Amino acid sequence: MSAVAEMPIAAPATRKAGNWLLVATVILLSVWVLLPIYLLIVNALSSPEEVTAFPKRFFPSFDFGSLSFFINFAGVGRALWNSVLVATLTMILSIGFGAPAGYALSRFDFPGKGTFRFLVLMTRAFPLPLLALPLAVMFIRTGLDDTAIGLALVHTTLALPFAVLITFSLFSGIPVELEEAAWTLGCTRLQAFRKVILPLALPGIAASAVFAFTISWNEVFAAAVLTIENRTLTAFLLQSLGESPLYLKFAGGAALVIPALIFIFAVRKYLFAMWGIANR
Amino acid sequence: MNALKTLAGAALALSMAIGGAQAQVLFWSTQARPVEETQKVRSEVLKSFDGQVDYQVAEDGPWLTRLQAELQAGSGTIGVLGGLHGDFSTVGANLVDLSGVDIGGVKLNEAYKKLGMLGTNEQKYLPWMQATFLMAANKQALQYLPAGADLNKITYDQLIEWSKNIAEKTGSPKFGFPAGPKGLKHRFFEGFLYPSYTGSMVTKFRSAEAETAWNKFKELWQYTNPNSTNYAFMQEPLLTGEVWVAFDHVARLADAFNQKPDEFVAFPAPAGPAGRGYMPVIAGVAIPKTSPDMDKAKALVAFMLKPETQIATLKATNFFPVVDVNLPDDMPASVKAFGPVIATMTGAPDALPALLPTGLGDLGGKFNQVYVDSFERIVLGGQDVRGVLEEQATALKALIDQAKAPCWAPDKPSEGACPVD
Repeated sequence: MSAVAEMPIAAPATRKAGNWLLVATVILLSVWVLLPIYLLIVNALSSPEEVTAFPKRFFPSFDFGSLSFFINFAGVGRALWNSVLVATLTMILSIGFGAPAGYALSRFDFPGKGTFRFLVLMTRAFPLPLLALPLAVMFIRTGLDDTAIGLALVHTTLALPFAVLITFSLFSGIPVELEEAAWTLGCTRLQAFRKVILPLALPGIAASAVFAFTISWNEVFAAAVLTIENRTLTAFLLQSLGESPLYLKFAGGAALVIPALIFIFAVRKYLFAMWGIANR
Repeated sequence: MNALKTLAGAALALSMAIGGAQAQVLFWSTQARPVEETQKVRSEVLKSFDGQVDYQVAEDGPWLTRLQAELQAGSGTIGVLGGLHGDFSTVGANLVDLSGVDIGGVKLNEAYKKLGMLGTNEQKYLPWMQATFLMAANKQALQYLPAGADLNKITYDQLIEWSKNIAEKTGSPKFGFPAGPKGLKHRFFEGFLYPSYTGSMVTKFRSAEAETAWNKFKELWQYTNPNSTNYAFMQEPLLTGEVWVAFDHVARLADAFNQKPDEFVAFPAPAGPAGRGYMPVIAGVAIPKTSPDMDKAKALVAFMLKPETQIATLKATNFFPVVDVNLPDDMPASVKAFGPVIATMTGAPDALPALLPTGLGDLGGKFNQVYVDSFERIVLGGQDVRGVLEEQATALKALIDQAKAPCWAPDKPSEGACPVD
């Protein structure tokens, strides 16, 4: 403590330089994120000739040709709906299973706890292309094949490790004394959890739900193998986009990115809560 | 929380509701993947089929995985398969014999039909459409053609000199080559460079002629746009003007010709000392044993070979017919540009067709890798040509022996595994 007090107060010039550095860093980081999105959108809104032309225009010409091609492409609406459905199911399943597991890990001591935490991560060690074949065989036999719930189950296994670990650290950060105080005042274990712990943990839980949503939204391989009629948007477009002309790549990229951006923007409050940034 | 529960309930109910009966034939294909082509195949090619078709495309990995899953599970949704010759060679044993399919009076290319038997005595797949690789040039490049060079009879030496002229006169290298991760560079080495210099694809892999071929390509590489290691489809750099002369698959050049028909010319692949090597690409249609409705699937296969369908397919995908047809006049600019050039190339006196690798089964990818590795080590890495060829030849021999694959054209037929001298 005394060391801090004895430190000389930074000279105004140094502080000014520090401010500049901060501003520059903020700008750099914003450009880092915004520039690709900007280019994506400008090119998506340009006509095919403008996309290959150089120099680029700063403002797009608002040519909706490429974008409307996507909207009219047979099955896009259906695929978008499937994506939302699968991602929502994934979100619910991974929190439904992940949050209790995270709670148990943070509150109870049981044999094999360390191994369990490690094993949870291990599920991410197997690449999906390797798992897809046996999974697909099993799904076809059990009738789960080509359904949203079947794919959501696979995506849940991908999202679950993160859900468990995020909620684990979340619950660990809430003092157990709060819970104990509730018990002494007559709450049952469940009541204490619902009335004391849950309100505190909710923003974090929502954040890990968002994370599960994006994992499902971005997953391609399992979606491409396990669904045919009910493809998700990512599987539906990515199969084709890799080999499409440039202007359609941009339009398709925008079609993939924008719904996810809107979703994240809508739930940003919770996302920031996970990182401890107040948004109020 | 309540809102979440409602949402969960609704989602579950919906997921149960989706997935009703499907009366249509599922056409599971690795071809016509670019969205615009998929769209055209659905709306222009398959529309007149009597019965509903669901045309779905997939990349090679998911395509095969899904198919294998259905075969292993013993029941499936895939009705008809579409793919390249190489796609089928891995699953040949599980394809239905199509020799009994009534294709009417259509005259099918005999050589391709034989290829579709995959070395057995059953018709494993029927040829569906064909393509090849060509050269394309921006018309601005023509002024730098070396004296005495004829585009239709161009040689590798002339191509190198031409690229050199362009690079020196314009200040930057403008030959382009699809050497990116998704580019078809391996087909160039297998079907064009090797046959043109050695008259062989496999047997003379490490011959002195092969050494010359690689050294020539290294020479050409000096005048090649260094961005080439990122290119997948040459139509894009051609359109932006980054590249003036390029080699690629016709379907990957087509967009340049369709967008700016007056700016580009197509011409045959160059010739080397052993001839004008070129590689025809053949796609086929097949029916897996698990196909849910065999009769409908066979009807669809027969439909794909009708002359009208073949012309519609050409318009949609830039893949050319495999049956005898008379092409109408209202063809896209790319078809008009490529048609005569393909005829010139395949009909040239020094033409040397090199078939896609056959009999390699699932080792096809590794076979391509041998050529890609050689390219990366010799041309990009600058390693000693002789040494690299010796090492890669060992790898090549090992996998040919493992597959026990007999030679295919242009190598002479062999008893047993194709030798690597």
